Amino acid sequence: MTLAEALNGFVAECNQDPRLREMNRDWSRQIAIVATGHHGRRAVWLKSQEGILTSGEGPLASPDMEITAPEEMLIDIFSGLLSPTEPYNAGDLLVRGQQDDMMRLDILTLLIWGG
Amino acid sequence: MKRVVSVSLGSHLRDHSAQLTVLGETVAVYRQGTDGDLAAARGLIAKLAARRAVDAIGLGGIDRYLVVAGRRYEIRDAQALAEAAGTVPVVDGSGVKATWEPRVVERLLEAGRLHVGQRVLMVSALDRFGMAEAFFGLGFATVAGDLIFGSRINYPIRSLLELEEMARKLLPEMVKLPFSQLYPVGDQQTAEPDRRFARYFAEADVIAGDFHYIRRYLPDDLTDKTVITNTTTAHDVKLLEARAIRCLVTTTPVLGGRSFGANLVEAALVAVSGIDADHPEWPGLVERAGLTFSVRDWREG
Repeated sequence: MTLAEALNGFVAECNQDPRLREMNRDWSRQIAIVATGHHGRRAVWLKSQEGILTSGEGPLASPDMEITAPEEMLIDIFSGLLSPTEPYNAGDLLVRGQQDDMMRLDILTLLIWGG
Repeated sequence: MKRVVSVSLGSHLRDHSAQLTVLGETVAVYRQGTDGDLAAARGLIAKLAARRAVDAIGLGGIDRYLVVAGRRYEIRDAQALAEAAGTVPVVDGSGVKATWEPRVVERLLEAGRLHVGQRVLMVSALDRFGMAEAFFGLGFATVAGDLIFGSRINYPIRSLLELEEMARKLLPEMVKLPFSQLYPVGDQQTAEPDRRFARYFAEADVIAGDFHYIRRYLPDDLTDKTVITNTTTAHDVKLLEARAIRCLVTTTPVLGGRSFGANLVEAALVAVSGIDADHPEWPGLVERAGLTFSVRDWREG
């Protein structure tokens, strides 16, 4: 699975769940995601507007939040195989932006795949 | 005489010592604040345990366990504190709250201070699931605001089933976060209130839950509301009074006319009885301890 595919899957899970759409209805953000690895750095993005998420490839001009981590880790996080909490606490997942936004992403992944 | 110490992450300015009589035995109790310093709290606990100076330790200003629907989730920062105590029992008051707070709700209902059908906002329910269970179970239209006030996600939880689902999915990971991300600490406790979510207060007849959450989101107007919370200072009471609340119920246990933190009372009970909240006789023990709570009703003067 590629990172773009993992992100697409995450976006689809959020958008098809009425509860998650309600939670995100007043959350408008542009999130830049930078994947690191042997290939260098790869940029993808996630946007939230009125409860609907979209994703795509390429850099964002002025993101509200930037997440940087190894590509495999990001794939695991956005496909539900890994919670972001541990890598975040360990400093392997770097976040620039509001702590609340990171916690929200954490909560979204847990509500989709947790328990 | 048995001795227990409450090691609190709160301010050292509220340190005190006293004696309390529980189940017929007098216990010397002490409270020592560490001003939000986890390392200092851990050091103090280790020192008390090494000296064998105490029979039990209470944790103040931090929860160790969140107990939801029979499952217990341990907050990692608190676990690290408890480990410093070695074999000395470390309790956080959750064992007392789980038994005691539902009884407070029942007694308020029996006394006519609450009425089934009233709308209840629990600003945080996962840290006092017993109270939430009582409100939902007794038929109150209850909103659990854990996502709203804990994570700024504008989503009210309106059923016990959904609250349990949230706990099952979120808590195993959330308890690993630094406690400062889960609970208002330090400057957040005295910052100007955030009024983004004032409508949830406006829509409720009863506001319940941890006072630091209530304080952090306190709206300008609470006319005719009943507030059910834990420890409140004289300043906190003034804040509520200025917003025209009808009634303040403080669930913090009162023993012999004095109010003690739930963690201190639980530590004293453990020290005296030798059993803890996991023991099947625990609920009966808490019942026999003769705890009471405080009510101040402004209509009654």
